[in-house]
Formats: sequence, structure tokens, C-alpha cells
Amino acid sequence: MTGATLYSVSAALSALLLGAVASILPAPVSGWLTSADVVTGLAVLIFSAILLVASMINTIMLIWFERKMLGRFMDRRGAMHVGYAGLLQNFADGLKLFRKNTFRPQEADSLGFYAGPTAYMVTSMILFGVLPISTGWSSGALPLSLLLALAIFSFAPLFIFVSAWSSNNKYSLIGGMRSAAQMIAYEVPILLAVVAVVIVSGSFDLNVIVNEQQNYWFWFPLLLALIVFVAGMLAEMERIPFDLPEAEAELVEGWNTEYGGMLFAFFMLADYVRALIGSILVVLLFLGGWTMPSWVPAAATSFPLAGIFWFMIKTYAVFGLFVWIRASLPRVRTDQLLRVGWNRMIPLALLSIVLAAVLVTVRCLPFLGCVPPVGG
Amino acid sequence: MWINMGPQHPMTHGLWNLRVRIEGEIIEEVDPEMGYLHRGIEKISEDRHYNEVITLMDRTCYVAGLAWEHLYIIAAEQALHLEPPERAQYIRTLSDELQRIASHLMWYAAFVQDIGLMTPFLYAMRDRDLVLDLFQSYTGARMTYEYNRVGGVRNDLPTGFTDRTRKVMDWIYARFVDYDHLCLDSDIFHRRCDGIGVLSARDCVDWGVTGPMLRSAGVRRDLRKDRPYAAYDRVEFDVAVADGADVTARYLVRMEEMRQAVRIVRQTLDWLDKNPGPVLADRLPRWLGAPYAPVGREGYLLKRNFPTGRGFSSVEEPHGEAQAYVVNTGGEHPYRVKFRSPVFANIAAAQKYLPGYRVADIPPIMGSVDICVGEVDR
Repeated sequence: MTGATLYSVSAALSALLLGAVASILPAPVSGWLTSADVVTGLAVLIFSAILLVASMINTIMLIWFERKMLGRFMDRRGAMHVGYAGLLQNFADGLKLFRKNTFRPQEADSLGFYAGPTAYMVTSMILFGVLPISTGWSSGALPLSLLLALAIFSFAPLFIFVSAWSSNNKYSLIGGMRSAAQMIAYEVPILLAVVAVVIVSGSFDLNVIVNEQQNYWFWFPLLLALIVFVAGMLAEMERIPFDLPEAEAELVEGWNTEYGGMLFAFFMLADYVRALIGSILVVLLFLGGWTMPSWVPAAATSFPLAGIFWFMIKTYAVFGLFVWIRASLPRVRTDQLLRVGWNRMIPLALLSIVLAAVLVTVRCLPFLGCVPPVGG
Repeated sequence: MWINMGPQHPMTHGLWNLRVRIEGEIIEEVDPEMGYLHRGIEKISEDRHYNEVITLMDRTCYVAGLAWEHLYIIAAEQALHLEPPERAQYIRTLSDELQRIASHLMWYAAFVQDIGLMTPFLYAMRDRDLVLDLFQSYTGARMTYEYNRVGGVRNDLPTGFTDRTRKVMDWIYARFVDYDHLCLDSDIFHRRCDGIGVLSARDCVDWGVTGPMLRSAGVRRDLRKDRPYAAYDRVEFDVAVADGADVTARYLVRMEEMRQAVRIVRQTLDWLDKNPGPVLADRLPRWLGAPYAPVGREGYLLKRNFPTGRGFSSVEEPHGEAQAYVVNTGGEHPYRVKFRSPVFANIAAAQKYLPGYRVADIPPIMGSVDICVGEVDR
């Protein structure tokens, strides 16, 4: 599928739709309708709609995937009853939450209480527009798309803190504080680990980073950076073992204690959107994105949508690792988490930068031989 | 800042309130508030026949019903000058130890959930279900058994029970290894649990703390050894003791107690296989309110000059040392019934073992206490 991209498909759809409408309308209107600007505008809308629906379905499937996998770890079956093997259970749950009345405590600040979850959700969803899924299946080749993605990703603590503070609840406030502290602490090692990838690939453009991994995936030379990045991502996603902002044992539900109905659904959904984004980032930066190594038979990589297929497989595998961690580890304490973040993660990330610099200078890998100059 | 952890809070494992004054994340002062679940069990007992009190005993600690029945029944039998048959003594010992396994599994499940482990929670709950199935097979109920009777137990064990129990014990004993792997092999577990919630042996004695918490401070005190009741002087077991007096030590003590409980259960099963016999005393006063008395043992009518008496018992129930005091003034009902709940003292000592640690330490520490609010408030 080299020719057809998601945008070209939506542009063709847009032109087709507008042409059909224009054919039954008088000349001045039909002329305007088929002008390039309008076609492009509608194409962008269709593009976004497809992206939105696809990413939402993926997010909800991710929840199903986690529930089933956790169930297997725990000797039970997970969701079973709605749809085949519980596939539709989360849609049913979503509908239930949608129908519920949204309750706001009397003393809560109205603006922050409603704006917080909405902004959290929106900033998480925007990321899908930034990340390339496969060749041609992204909203555009931004030269700094990696930086943009991480910048949007780090909005979250602000909105979490706003919604926690405005719910006027002590548990929420403590949870919000912890969340902000934790996310800020782990932004730094994540960015430093990413610097290692940027040094090796020579670009901030995610497309370029993936293309650089045609020869070898970055996880092997940059194993240290991968470990730091995955640990940091676990903290950013607030998953066990780093889920203490919503540690239900002491803080009830942490910063979303006071939220119910659709606002709660926003938080939950955005959490899984961020989990999906985190897994996608790991795949893009370290696991070769949609590329497959050359020893994989061509038949497995050349069928239509093979890039997306392999990309999704990798993404779900990475998320499966997160679920595995969740099923087997207890939760750490805030001070331990922050100490690990500042005292261990940052030196490790700096070390990985040094290793990356050495790698770029020497241009030789153990076992794999020497590679052509990078960053071309 | 004062925080109310309770009465509706995931940490409490029941209906009570832990008021905590925090400075940042550090606990400065705590104030446990109990009484949300008070049902006046002691007062209600004064208006019931001796056997009808057993129903209430199941409701004191709802995860250790048989142990509490046993506690009351010893005191009531003393007060009424009755002696249960030996087989009943063994069945009670067996029930106590099965109950200890079930209760400790419940504790394990709740405790690991408190530190964020979800998988072992379900493992432990499932294994506990196997024990509950055993209870169901010989008492007819899974939580509120009403199995003990003044002068024995209600019915003998069903056919095939001992073999089934042996099988379950083998399975559970093998599972303990998994439990330890899931907790003790995890570095994060030790980071969370080592050295927190320390209550020294001296403080334990001062605050009346008993049971696994006391033994975790290195004090070798177990009523089953020190003041044997039922058949405990005829079975072999070791007292589980650990050093450190922290959450990990309590974990180790409870896990070892479960292993010892399996050992005791196996011995009682062997004895029960070899020694059939009656499980209820022959001559029972009819007014014990024994509608379940077997045919042919209808008992004798109340005589006005039935001997009075007082009964005192102390039992090592899964949470600690429980005590009961029953006064018989010759009437159909006990004149006074009084209980001592171990968990009440264990919670009260929170003022000693919580301050100085962090808010995030409260769930593991309180989880390691093994709270059962039913018996605290009675």
C-alpha cells in the first residue's frame, strides 16, 4: 500500500462526495463546492473522523485486551457476557457511564471540575494525530513530531491537578499533588532517553526515526534507554507499580474520587489512550515501528496494510508487557518513586545518551557489524 | 490536616474510622474510632438460651466464626459443668485450624490488595473457597456455621470428609510456595513492608496486643501451647515467631501459622479416622434450646436447683487472644456474657505504631493487623 495513504483516501472520498452534491446544485454553489479549499477542508474532516473512530475503537479494545489478559493471570476469564468473549463489554460499560447523571459536589469549582477532564481527554486524543501509524498513515510529516508528541503528552499533570484541586476533596488533592510530582519527575528521564534515540537516528521526525530502523531496531543498541523509557512511561500512565496517584487503598480513587458518569469515563478513557500512546511510542522509538527485519519472509510484510498490521501487533505486545507488570508487582511509595526517578533514572538516561553518542561515533554494533552513517 | 480514613474507605476493611493528622505525607497523630458496627451482642446474649448465643458468635468475627463459637462454648460448658466427648474436642480443633487457614487467607488477600497486588488476591480467595467448601460439607454453611453446641458439636463429619480435607490441605500447602514467591521475591514488597509499623515487644505487652502481631515481635506466646484447650495438647505443632516486629514479620508469622495449621489438621484427621464415637454429651439440659438434639437424647428438664457456675475461656483465634466470660446463675439464659476482642487492642495500638510513617504506609500497616470489625464492636 505505497500509493494510497489515509489522507489520499479521505481526499478522494471528499472529492467524490462534494462532486455528487455539486452535480445537483446550481453553478455558483457547485463551483465553490468543488474548489480545492473546500475539498481539502472536508478531506481533513473525514481524515480526523476516521482517525478518531479508529483510535477510540483501539482504545476500547485495549481495555478489553487488558481485562482478558489480567483475567488469565488471575485464573479467571475476564469479561465474558456481552458480545463474543466479552468483546462488547466495554462498549456496554461506556454506554452505562454515558447514561449516568454527572454529579458535582456543591463546594467544587465548576470551571475546573468540568474543564479538567475534558482538557485531559482532548490533549490525550490529539496525540493520535501526531503519531504516524504506518507509511502515509499520519496527519503529516512534521519535522519535530517526536518533540510535539512529548510536549502534548506532558500537559496531563496540569489538567489532573486542576481537576483534583477543584473537586475540593482531600484525597483528590493529595492524589493530584502526587500525580503532578510523579509526572514531572519522570518527564525528565523520558526526554533524556528520547535524546539517545534522536542522537542515533539524527532526527526528531518519527517517520525518519522509524526509517532509520530498517537495518536494526533501536532496542538492541539502546537497551538502557528503552528500560528508562518504559519505566518512565509506566509512571506517566500511572499504572502499577507506579499508580500511586490513584492508590485506591489509601486515597480511595486518588484525583478522580469525586468524578462519576461521563466525566469519570473521560478519565478512564484518557488513561487508556495514554497507555496506547505510550505503547505506540515504545514501538516507534525502539521496536522499528511498522518495519520488519529483513529475515522476515517478504510475504509477511508485503500484503496490503502489512505495516499497520505489524505495528498493531507490536503495540499490543508492548501493552501486554505493561499488563503483565501490573498483574505481578505491588505498588511503590511516593517517596521511593521520586527517589528512583531523580536518583536512578536520570543518571541511567544520561549514561544511555553517552552510549548513543559513542555508537554514532563508532558506527559499529556488537554482533551486527558496522552500519552506514546515520542521520543522513 | 486531619483526614478521615473511614468509615467508608477502602483501607478500613470494615466499618470503622481512622482519623489521621498528616503533615505533608508524614503521619503525626492517629485516632481510631470504633463503634460503627456495634450490635450489642453481649446484651442480646443475656436474653437467649445458651445454644442460641452461638448464632451470635458467628456474627462477631464473620471470617473466623468457628473460632469464636469455640471460645464461647468453652466458657459456657465450664459455667454449665458439662464435658464434651473427646471426638468433639478433636473436631473443634480441626475446625479452629481450618478456620485459621480461611481467615489468614482472607487476611492475605486483603493485605496484598492493600499494597497493590491484585493477582495473589484472587489466588488466595479461590483457595479460601476450597476451605469454605469443606465447612459447607460438614456444617452446612460457608460463613455463619452454628455448628458447635454446648456439650459437643451438632453433627459428626460426613463420609469421605477426611480424605477430601487431606486433598485440599495438600493443594493449599503447595500453594503457599506461590504466595511467598509473589510477595517475598518481589523487591518492591520489601521496600514497602520492611521496617514499617514497628511495634516492639514491650509496647505490644503494654497495649495488650496479642496474636500474630505479638509473635512477630519475637514473643513466643501462643495460648494453644501455653494454656492448651480442646485437643491442642495432643497435637504437635510449632509456634510461629519472627523478629523485626514490622509488616514483613507479621506476614512471615501468618504464613508459618497457616503451614502449622495444615500440620495440625492432618494430625486431627488421622485421629478422627481411627476414633469414631459420639460428638455430643449424653445428658444435656433440654432448656439449652437444643432443637437439633439427636433423637434418643432428649435431655432432662430444667431443675430449679441446677448448679450455678462461671466459665472463663481464652482462645488463640486467628487474630489474637480472645477471651470470654459466662455467668450462669441457674436460669435458662446466661446471666452475663463478656468478650475480649483481640483486634480491639490491636487497633487501639495504632496510636503507637502508625505515627512517623507515611500516608502510603497506612494500608500495609493496618492490613498487617488483620482487622475484623465485627469482633471489635461486637
